[in-house]
Amino acid sequence: MTNYVIETSDLIKDHTSPFLRKKFRALDRVTIRVPEGQTYGLLGLNGAGKTTFLKLLLGLLKVTDGQVSVFGHEPGSPKALARIGFLPESPYFYSHLTAQEFLDLVGKLFGMNGKTRKAKSLELLAMVSMAEHAKRPLRKYSKGMLQRLGLAQSLMNDPDILFWDEPTSGLDPIGRRDVRQIILKLKSQGKTIFFNSHLLPDVNEVCDHVGILHRGRLIGEKAITDSAGTGRYQDLEKYFLETIAQADQSRSANS
Amino acid sequence: MFSGLGAIALNTFRETVRDRILYAFVLFAFLFTLAGIILGSLSIGQNERILQDMGLAVISMIGGIIAIFLGTNLVYKEIDRRTIYLILTKPIARWQFVLGKYLGLSFCIFVVTGLMGIFLVGLLAVFGAEVKALVLVAQAIGLIYLELLFVIAVATFFSTFATPLMSVLFTLAIWLIGHMSQALLELSKLSQANTSDAACIPSCTKLGQVMYWIVPDLAKLTQVRYELISLRPVDCEILFYLITYILAYIIFLLLLSTLVTEQREFS
Repeated sequence: MTNYVIETSDLIKDHTSPFLRKKFRALDRVTIRVPEGQTYGLLGLNGAGKTTFLKLLLGLLKVTDGQVSVFGHEPGSPKALARIGFLPESPYFYSHLTAQEFLDLVGKLFGMNGKTRKAKSLELLAMVSMAEHAKRPLRKYSKGMLQRLGLAQSLMNDPDILFWDEPTSGLDPIGRRDVRQIILKLKSQGKTIFFNSHLLPDVNEVCDHVGILHRGRLIGEKAITDSAGTGRYQDLEKYFLETIAQADQSRSANS
Repeated sequence: MFSGLGAIALNTFRETVRDRILYAFVLFAFLFTLAGIILGSLSIGQNERILQDMGLAVISMIGGIIAIFLGTNLVYKEIDRRTIYLILTKPIARWQFVLGKYLGLSFCIFVVTGLMGIFLVGLLAVFGAEVKALVLVAQAIGLIYLELLFVIAVATFFSTFATPLMSVLFTLAIWLIGHMSQALLELSKLSQANTSDAACIPSCTKLGQVMYWIVPDLAKLTQVRYELISLRPVDCEILFYLITYILAYIIFLLLLSTLVTEQREFS
């Protein structure tokens, strides 16, 4: 029997405007299952509902209807969160802290002891090429440096699953290459990785499986390990564009 | 459980003490307290009393300003700057987050009040105040801190759902009402007695009564403080009652803050 790390079934999320009481459906009956060890890329245009989906998995938003579980636990439960590493989109940090202090704070939130926190934070800062900036206040960091620190903090607890929202955004080509290498390394360790992106080349290089979210609906899912070689990226781009075009066509035909 | 709570409290403390505006306020407090010496020298034989009154008023005022302005940003800033995403996605409960923020700021205010208090007590000692008087002044400073703990709890509660500007107004209103609640009750009784037609009892009469029961009677703290600085010792029983009374309100407000944070979505 397959062990699913993430399981959603007919997941619905409505946002309600506080004054007009107008409802907006951000996610509409989304069913996604991610087995252990898979690298799943959730693709979609801006505003498709990718971040909303992640926030539901993390318990930052409440489910309107449908089922959702992470490691069999309710989203946002401490048991689930202890096994998750999360990187938000364009992460914001406490500008009064240094990178090392911030990672120490994250380690404390995971209940790690002082010795482990120190060793792990130094290891992770070296991994994201930030060791020399460990004692600089975060307010002096560039966007790319903050993104690297965001990646490091998401690995602090040695998580079983990673939720990364646009992990390569704000990074230069070398940074993007580094992130891809980190993902491949984590994959080889058997970690489950779930990330949102609209950068198809990155997704293409590291993912086993992709899903396409469009206007809150999951309009396609595909395993991408079956195709190989230089044609892979073109295949994915073609699949992405065609799936979205088809969904738009059937939507306009229905309306 | 306490590791997460302590981490949030320490981070909040660090954030506030690394904010330069705090030092500006503390500097102001020292300068105003020193101004008490000049004012005292203008009086006839009341130097010590004027310095003492001025010093305590400054501690209360500056402490209140810091508590309100930092407290009303306490949770709001985390949401506005989206740092809350990095905290609430770690295995900590939301009550730990709220309580940790509250304890961090409370400790910061403790340090600030303590520094200002030590400065005042030191000045009074230089001016020849007796040890007994200094102990009573220290107790009065303790009561000011107790009141500030309540103000921080009110500000924390509002910061979980309102913008800082609204929170400042609400917190100031509660603070003022707390100091005038006995007067409000008296006023409502008077207006009730002077109105012959029951139907004409203005709604503000009832409002005054409701406010008296909802908002803690902070005037009691002021009265006890007055007793202390007049060098009249206060029964331990009364002090214990006051501490319990204010702590009960603080616990209630923190529970409400947790409830709001539990229900909130972070989109």
